[in-house]
Amino acid sequence: MNFSLRSYLKRLRSTILGILIIGILPALLFGTNTQLEQNVWEYSIKNLKYPLFPDVFEKYQYSMTIFFAALLTGLAAALILTFFTTLLPRFLQRIVYGLLTFLESLPDLFIVVVLQFTVIYIYQSTGVLIANISNVYNNPIYLLPILTLAVLPTIQLFKIALLLMKDEQHKPYVTVARAMGLSRFYITIVHVFRNIITSLVQYYKTIFVFMLSNLFIVEYVFNLNGIMNVLLNTKGVAFMVTALMIAIPFSLLFEIAESNTIKVNKQEGEEAA
Amino acid sequence: MIIKLLKQPQAVIGFLFITCLLVFSFYWPSMLDVNKTEALKLQDFLYDDDGRIIDAPPYSPSQVPPLGSDMFGKHIFYQVIDGAKYTILIALGIALFRILFSVGITLINPKSSFSFLNDIVQATLYIPTAILTFIFMNSLIVKQSMEPMSTIKLIVLQCLILIGVGVPPLISTFSSEIKAILNKDYITNSFALGSKKVYVYYKHVLPELSTKLVLLFAQQVVQTLILMAHLGVLAIFIGGSAIVVLGDIFTPMPVAIPLAGEWAGIIGMNFAKIKAAPWAILTPLSFFAVLIFALNLIIQGIQNCLETNKS
Repeated sequence: MNFSLRSYLKRLRSTILGILIIGILPALLFGTNTQLEQNVWEYSIKNLKYPLFPDVFEKYQYSMTIFFAALLTGLAAALILTFFTTLLPRFLQRIVYGLLTFLESLPDLFIVVVLQFTVIYIYQSTGVLIANISNVYNNPIYLLPILTLAVLPTIQLFKIALLLMKDEQHKPYVTVARAMGLSRFYITIVHVFRNIITSLVQYYKTIFVFMLSNLFIVEYVFNLNGIMNVLLNTKGVAFMVTALMIAIPFSLLFEIAESNTIKVNKQEGEEAA
Repeated sequence: MIIKLLKQPQAVIGFLFITCLLVFSFYWPSMLDVNKTEALKLQDFLYDDDGRIIDAPPYSPSQVPPLGSDMFGKHIFYQVIDGAKYTILIALGIALFRILFSVGITLINPKSSFSFLNDIVQATLYIPTAILTFIFMNSLIVKQSMEPMSTIKLIVLQCLILIGVGVPPLISTFSSEIKAILNKDYITNSFALGSKKVYVYYKHVLPELSTKLVLLFAQQVVQTLILMAHLGVLAIFIGGSAIVVLGDIFTPMPVAIPLAGEWAGIIGMNFAKIKAAPWAILTPLSFFAVLIFALNLIIQGIQNCLETNKS
């Protein structure tokens, strides 16, 4: 753990500067001043004005609950799937890999819409409502957004984990463990998995950024009152504040993860040397 | 490199699929033997053989084969086929210009670290691209509603926004990439022997970048397509929209109809009526998915090429 506050603050400064520029740029480029009559601390959806504070905290909490629940679900699902795939014969593994490449190219929008329809269809044909498909005010929904948001990261993580697993299984320590008479099952769970998870952490940035973009589409399509919806409908100062609310904790997370992965890399380098 | 790429079956399949779709999109009226204006017109009601009205739009795929119609009675299938050319060409063009601009800007001053741009890139990590583009597009549309501009100018400005959103991250990729190439020994040598900057860039730097460029180009096309789909959902149409009033006299419903026929527009137009006519939105979305899959096949082929190059 060699997290340094100074490098984090330096990075944060550039992020804040960037958000400032993005916030000002549209008004500069197109010269529109649409917020003259609008209070700075308000945002409007369909001509109805809402105050930004303190509502935003509640929305933030809601969005982050969905985000991290989806992340954990995705991670767990990917690891379980990886485990079962490695136990499959070689040719089935190739089929799974090909299928993953196909699933990966589905746009997030497609998955959201298809899931929504599936729930409606099941409800229409059997009368069983698995989960609410749209947000009714003051009655937040959790199950379906979390599942939807988890689908694509699961596929990505699964693919990465599968590749890592392939690399890992040919390493000397697995051979040694095999020679010691340990079962394949035991080696995979106790040794290989632990190593994969440390390598998986390195992909955190891609996954997080990808999921944030998905979160937006999920919130929009399911009509959730989340932070991304606020971000979409705010302008000027309120936009910058909302963007910073997302940027500050996430950049902290990235910084911590980065300082840890560097440490892991160093250790590996030392081991190799 | 092209010959190597031809040996990758998946890349060839992907490429052929996209080419076929493009050609079909241009020549479908003569190929399917239908009248283009007839196929794309608004169809108010559905008549049976005796001329009686049986149904009002949207029609299901069983009523209007092969893929049903949207809220205005337009055939989804013809719309999608006709829109393919716009969608593919816009995505290709935007990706191309993104790459061109970012390489150009990087090559003007390859030694600088672009710290200013890196700030912006850092910030855009936390704001989804669709929201970023929406903010710009929205102020553009507000401006257009106040002082109308010609469609061509609007399209150019919208494309510029779509290009501009992608350029900063690309520049920061390229600047590190180009710096690494410029630090190679033979480049330093050729500078020491007195070759001109332009010559070195053209002769050494660009060829070394070329495979990477093709890969990034394909990835940019995919990103542009996804971005366009998202913008479609947000009811931002490339080429602007016309307002059509639907419904009866007592409850008029103004609906924005995109002028250009690209897929994102079809999605955006039908998104509010998602439960009434699911096929109208699932069809363009599946076409998006298939197109992205074809592009991913090409990307996979290029990556295989790069790997064989290394070993």
